[in-house]
Amino acid sequence: MARMKFICDTERCIECNGCVTACKNDNEVPWGVNRRRVVTVNDGIIGQEKSVSVACMHCTDAPCMAVCPVDCFYRTDEGVVLHDKDICIGCGYCSFACPFGAPQFLSKGAFGSRSKMDKCTFCSGGPEENGSVAEFEKYGRNRLAEGKLPLCAEMCSTKALIGGDSDIISGIFNQRVANREKNGKYLGSQAFGWSTAYGGSGTPAPTPTPAAKIPGAQ
Amino acid sequence: MKFNFKTLGLCFAAATLLVACSEPPEIAAKAAKRPDVAPYMGANNGFVTKNWTPGNQASWTESVDKRTQGQNESSRVK
Repeated sequence: MARMKFICDTERCIECNGCVTACKNDNEVPWGVNRRRVVTVNDGIIGQEKSVSVACMHCTDAPCMAVCPVDCFYRTDEGVVLHDKDICIGCGYCSFACPFGAPQFLSKGAFGSRSKMDKCTFCSGGPEENGSVAEFEKYGRNRLAEGKLPLCAEMCSTKALIGGDSDIISGIFNQRVANREKNGKYLGSQAFGWSTAYGGSGTPAPTPTPAAKIPGAQ
Repeated sequence: MKFNFKTLGLCFAAATLLVACSEPPEIAAKAAKRPDVAPYMGANNGFVTKNWTPGNQASWTESVDKRTQGQNESSRVK
């Protein structure tokens, strides 16, 4: 069974924001909500500037799932962490718990009122019917059910951001690092956020939400 | 006797107000998690890629893995 994950290669990201644009456009994400964003450190310092594309990492032991007071999160067999917006109450606990700042809230009016939580779904929608209008309006595209991968990763021009089965994408990344080290460049490159999101190599695979807890799940 | 009526009235008002704090069973049932269909079952739209069979998990996995390898430019340039 595939375990879907993202890797962003900081040596390749050029801060073009193509992934951000692709995500917002394909999922019709409203103004004020960025499911994906690019963070740059040491901006303008020659040789030290690094950029990384950040979104929900679909953690192995997701802290958002642990703190949600209404238990609206669930994990699919593919390892994708999703949530049910019909249950979410927009409390924001997940936002405080997430180490990547993934949960987003749309400010809807005066007195700080805000919407239900919105975040990256690894382009796999939500509990509505796959590919339906209802699913698109609440969660965006369901590209996994169309046999595709998240658009942000698939259209990344430098292939800094790659997404898919963890074994395959970590293999691609390891090959790159080996090539770099062979050429004497960027020694010790590491995948941003992997140890935070997925733990070390001894971390067990994520446990999907039991089917008994999601009646009718396949 | 007058005191008893007042007490009774207060109890009735308190009980009426507390009803607003309860959760009707139909609402509680609605808040339960709903089923999510696995992606290999396919999407109900015209954007599904052609190289796999919806409902066949093995073909979906193979197709997506092949697509994942498409992100590896090292294998593409060979």
